[in-house]
Amino acid sequence: MRIRPSREKKIFYIKTVSRWIVYYIIIFFFFAFMTSGTYLKPMILIPTAICIAMKNDMMGSAFTGAFCGLLTDIACGKLFGYNAVLLTVFCVGTSLMFSLYLRNKFINFLWISGICSFIQCCLDYEFFYGLWGYEDVETIFRNTHMNSFALTVISSVFVYIIFGIVNRFLMPKEHLSIHDIIASQPEANLRQIKPPESRRM
Amino acid sequence: MRDFIKSAKFKILLAFIAFLTGIMIYSITRGGYSVGGESFINTITKPLRYVSNSLAVKVENTADKIYNAEEYYNENKYLKEQINDLKKQLADYDNLKAEVEQLRKFAVIKEEHPDDEFSVPAEVLGYTVNDPFRSFTIDRGSDDGIEPYCPVITADGLVGITIEVSAEVSVVRTILSPDLSVSAVGADSNAEYGVIEGTVLTAEDGNTKMTHLSVDNKLEEGDLILTAGNSGLFPKGYSIGTVKSKGFEKNGLSACAEIEPCCDIARLSDVVVITNFRGKQGQEEETTETVEGTSEE
Repeated sequence: MRIRPSREKKIFYIKTVSRWIVYYIIIFFFFAFMTSGTYLKPMILIPTAICIAMKNDMMGSAFTGAFCGLLTDIACGKLFGYNAVLLTVFCVGTSLMFSLYLRNKFINFLWISGICSFIQCCLDYEFFYGLWGYEDVETIFRNTHMNSFALTVISSVFVYIIFGIVNRFLMPKEHLSIHDIIASQPEANLRQIKPPESRRM
Repeated sequence: MRDFIKSAKFKILLAFIAFLTGIMIYSITRGGYSVGGESFINTITKPLRYVSNSLAVKVENTADKIYNAEEYYNENKYLKEQINDLKKQLADYDNLKAEVEQLRKFAVIKEEHPDDEFSVPAEVLGYTVNDPFRSFTIDRGSDDGIEPYCPVITADGLVGITIEVSAEVSVVRTILSPDLSVSAVGADSNAEYGVIEGTVLTAEDGNTKMTHLSVDNKLEEGDLILTAGNSGLFPKGYSIGTVKSKGFEKNGLSACAEIEPCCDIARLSDVVVITNFRGKQGQEEETTETVEGTSEE
């Protein structure tokens, strides 16, 4: 960490705004991808929302999760708001997990994204097909939902790479002002004794 | 000079000129065919001439490229622009041609069903993600007079029904879905009534199922199935598909048949929505209400 000169506040705002704009452009691009072509596609907006939640604050993540969920509902022709609720919960959970317990590593993203996709997949099947008792309904889970889940997990690798590039250029680095350093001096000493990072995965 | 004229060299020179003149005269008399010597020389020098000619052409071309580079560059640019324009025109022409063909087919439907009201042809915006029953979205909505539960057709036959309508787009549920039931009848034997209702397994192959058929039905493979038009949701006489195979229901009380839709539902590009038709459910109610109202007065 280094001492922040006054102009870095401006850079921080510019980078933050640019980053969110790029996030939403990518989200729209993925939505367009989901709504075109053949019917079997990855639920790419799930890893996207998780990836954004991983590196951003809870409120921003929740809003992005809801937005991605609404777009997913439109693309999948599902009840408007159903996936929004799910993804909001997933994103808030992910944001909390990464701020408290987990490090920003690919493997952590992959398993969280996988679990979220699987839960979404199972709930989608149960509510929209399983519950209605169609004949041979399990075929839908086997042939559609599991394939879509596999595609989602594969696509999450690309999502991580894309957002990694965006974050690398547009994520402001953590800086401290002189006041922050003076104020956090006793805490800094404590950190030296027991760094919180050591408890994380 | 006199010495030169009298010399042997001069005589040899004269003889040589005379020989050449003789060859010249001989070659004139050959009527276009070359003299043996000329032919021999041509044969010997042929490879050499090939090489020299190709070299000369290359050198000339290189020089030409260097001297007229700008001219060629501009010409190339102009030609590329022309090609792009022509490609665009060709694409527009293809689109127009396809549209005209589609409209021609729809015009035939209109002629066959003069009482029905149709929407403007709608384009398929996209299929619903991961929907095994291939529901899709079209680019026409309530602004174009489309309402929920309007039948959707192509030039080949029935496709489905609108289930969700917004101002500019509508979602269509297809006949592959088990959530849509269509009263149907065989075209050949007008007595075989049944219900078209998709199943999970038939939808996988892009087919649907006709249920509630009598056990001794006379349907055969390849028979055309039409809408019966007695439910009030679908008009009468539209093609649904052809019988692919026949069988019995699990309970054994009724027969069923796998129906191959008239059009490939997984690859639709244009459809038409029937906004009104004779015997429509809402229309009947309205008519009844009007009649009741009139009688009360």
